[in-house]
Amino acid sequence: MKNKYIIGGVIIVIFFGLMGYLFTQTNISYENNFSQVMNTSKTIKATGSMVKSQNYQYDKKNRILKFWLKDDEGVVMKVVYKGSIPNNFESASTLVVTGKYVNGYFHASDILTKCPSKYQEQYKESSNS
Amino acid sequence: MIGNTLLLLALAASVFTVIMYYLTYKGYSNTKSLARIGYHSTAILIIAASALLIHAILTHQYQYEYVYEYSGSGLSTGLLISTFWGGQQGSFMLWIFFTSIVGLILLDYTAKRGDLEERTMMVFSLVIAFLLILVSPLLKSPFNYIWSEPLFLSVKNINSAFLSMPFMQNHLFRDPNNNQSFVRMSSDLYATLASAGISLRDFIIQGKGLNPLLQNFWMQIHPPFLFLGFALSAVPYSFAIAALIKNDYRDWIKQSFPWLLTGTMILGLAIMLGGYWAYGVLGWGGYWGWDPVENSSFIPWLIGVAAIHTFLIQKKSQSKGESGRFLKTNLILSIFMFVLVLYSTFLTRSGILGDSSVHSFVAPGMLVYLFLIILMVTFLMIGVIGIIYRWKFLERESEYKESLLSRELALFTGSIALIAASLIIIVGTSAPIFGRAVEVRFYNDMTLPIAIIIGLLNGFSLLLKWKSNEGISLLKNSIPSLIVTVILTAVIIILGGVNNIMLGILTLSSIFALVVNVEIAFKIIKGKKLFLGAYIAHTGIALFLLGVVATAGFTQERQLDLEKGKTIHSMGYDLTFLGYKPIEDGKKFAFNVQIKKGNDVSVVSPVMFFSDFNGSLMREPDIYTTLTKDFYITPLSYSDGSEQRSDKEKKISLKKGETTQYKGKSITFDKFDFPKTAISAMMDGGDFEIGAIISVAYNGRNFTVEPKLKNENGKRFYVPVTLKDVNLKINLLDLNAEGVIELILSPLNEENNIPQVTMASLSVEASVKPFISFVWIGVLIMVLGFIISVIRRTKESVK
Repeated sequence: MKNKYIIGGVIIVIFFGLMGYLFTQTNISYENNFSQVMNTSKTIKATGSMVKSQNYQYDKKNRILKFWLKDDEGVVMKVVYKGSIPNNFESASTLVVTGKYVNGYFHASDILTKCPSKYQEQYKESSNS
Repeated sequence: MIGNTLLLLALAASVFTVIMYYLTYKGYSNTKSLARIGYHSTAILIIAASALLIHAILTHQYQYEYVYEYSGSGLSTGLLISTFWGGQQGSFMLWIFFTSIVGLILLDYTAKRGDLEERTMMVFSLVIAFLLILVSPLLKSPFNYIWSEPLFLSVKNINSAFLSMPFMQNHLFRDPNNNQSFVRMSSDLYATLASAGISLRDFIIQGKGLNPLLQNFWMQIHPPFLFLGFALSAVPYSFAIAALIKNDYRDWIKQSFPWLLTGTMILGLAIMLGGYWAYGVLGWGGYWGWDPVENSSFIPWLIGVAAIHTFLIQKKSQSKGESGRFLKTNLILSIFMFVLVLYSTFLTRSGILGDSSVHSFVAPGMLVYLFLIILMVTFLMIGVIGIIYRWKFLERESEYKESLLSRELALFTGSIALIAASLIIIVGTSAPIFGRAVEVRFYNDMTLPIAIIIGLLNGFSLLLKWKSNEGISLLKNSIPSLIVTVILTAVIIILGGVNNIMLGILTLSSIFALVVNVEIAFKIIKGKKLFLGAYIAHTGIALFLLGVVATAGFTQERQLDLEKGKTIHSMGYDLTFLGYKPIEDGKKFAFNVQIKKGNDVSVVSPVMFFSDFNGSLMREPDIYTTLTKDFYITPLSYSDGSEQRSDKEKKISLKKGETTQYKGKSITFDKFDFPKTAISAMMDGGDFEIGAIISVAYNGRNFTVEPKLKNENGKRFYVPVTLKDVNLKINLLDLNAEGVIELILSPLNEENNIPQVTMASLSVEASVKPFISFVWIGVLIMVLGFIISVIRRTKESVK
């Protein structure tokens, strides 16, 4: 009976150890302050809104998408993404981009678009207060 | 107000039911029939409320905020019905509806089995009561009126005949950011309209509509299965609590077993349907993306499957008058399966995943957030306190001896592996609560070894006998299947070119499971057919795992530019873009691509269209399916070969009397052409047209044109005008009551001016996914196995 608990215990410790290790290796934090994003070399999920005055550019041949995001304090950051233009991109109000800030711009590996249905929510909230 | 009244009455009835069942349990003799009346009333009220909601949707009663927000005119009946569960409120309603139906069957089932009814139904009714609080008017009722909280409605959903009325001026708003106009719907406006004798049903003529991503067959079928699975998960929970209440654990396992199997089967099927939806329609490319929403329903399923295996041990190890082994585990798993369903609901409905999921979430407000936590914690605490309270007794009940080589231990290890997998997914999925997220790698790396263990145990446990085995005879028994396995695996690895060690091992373990299960299934097929369930289900899992290996390891993907008429060779196929054609009344465009391999020729038609709903380009993939592989095409973009055109277009808003210049032409918006008959036609929802009279001056010549907004058979569209003499096309985009129109001006004919250089071309993402059919077939075979097991265990539950 004692052996059972020892073996079980060891397995559990290994399991949680592995999971903990992998978690520290693969977890990404969110950041909506671009000054912070620009100061770290870690992979980050940066949240910001599209800069409307500066149109996005898409290089069709090499499939490179360039656009500009702005955080709440107005700090603008250039984002470069390799791949096709994601669904809802044109109408997205908020974007969550995953990647790193290197050499003057943000290299995104993933883009999550948030639909403008949120606008409606804002109307709703502002009208309540 | 009828809807909310029905729901509140149902809540009262369910509370009454809980109390009456409690009194019955306490020994009162005349309360049982009252409790039954209480439950039946609850169920009838819930069914009536659901019927009322579906009626409101089918008859477009936009005075209900829910119907306005998620439904719309112009949807097919099937899709219209699916708007029932298109939003939070309605999907809670669907969950409650299924729960009440399940409860009716459960009532009948438990009434036939001794004193089970009062304990089980007491807990189950409590679940219903809590869910009903969730749809009460204060939280998430689908029956709240649109004016109960101020809400901005887009003017295009409002009958324009009323917009010009003087009292409307205080209620019209314009968003300077995007130039859209809104009507602020509030109790004030409602009162004003009511005093003017205008009914809301005439005032609001269109709802926001259903998100185009949801407008397909899978939306009609996936959520109902999912919520039926959720509803069923409350049953094993109720049985577990009922056993704890009575402190008697001999019969609960066999009574609960068929329900656990049914719930797990339905939930599994629902998850697969969701996966197919994501793959075949939404164009995620794969069937599984470790998205938090997918994960959150997968977690309780894993726990359910783990519970099935430890249930089996308890049942097998029961001798007369004893509870059997793994009693505590079974109680805990039954409780957690339901609590994790509630946790899943919390994660997906509280808005907490807002930034981390492709599903769009709307934060439901603080009150709902708190209640979702209360819901989860309440049922968790009931379970935890029950188990702690009975702990000493449970300890005594579960003394046993065991042998290392027994089927029991193998099954238990399997359950542990499943629980470990669910823990991994819980950790990853919960990360957003702490403002973090994990990469997909976290899930893949952690679950792969577990999948291997599960595959091995899947085969191995069936070679083992119950209680104990001798090593030598076990080895003898397994030699034939081991040889077959090794040969088959070697063939696959060599032919398929498997070069990843882990995937190779997973192949081996899945093949082993497949061989053993098929072998045993054939042995017993002539005997007791009802015993086949487990082997069929395990065969399905083995096939599923092989499908996962094939698609995860050997999917090829390319991005291609397909010029019209020109054949491109890629991944062993000849692809030719044939051109596009409008479908569904010109709302969408199908891009036909011919796929040729050898003598097989077929055409797939991925679809792109512009959706007004979210103002965005939508893309739908298409798949050329064969038995061994899928050829999957997602459209990315289309260029008609004259890209310069977009630069020459001009989009402009004009007020009445305003003039704009475009390529030497002066374009003036003179006035609206608003026939008197249009007003009454609008109110009846009949056909009408409104024009914008525009004058164009060019080189001293004057023209007058009239682009129109038309409404025919309930459909709205704009009719553009062209002026050949001045090479101009005027597209009307929008007209609104404040006297502003929106236009797109473009030259008529590029070809005449600029010789066309580039060819029309379609950009696509193409991929070949080998044996993805195994994923779907595997799950369906597993479901078949479940069905057989449910029949067997239902028969056994009365013994």
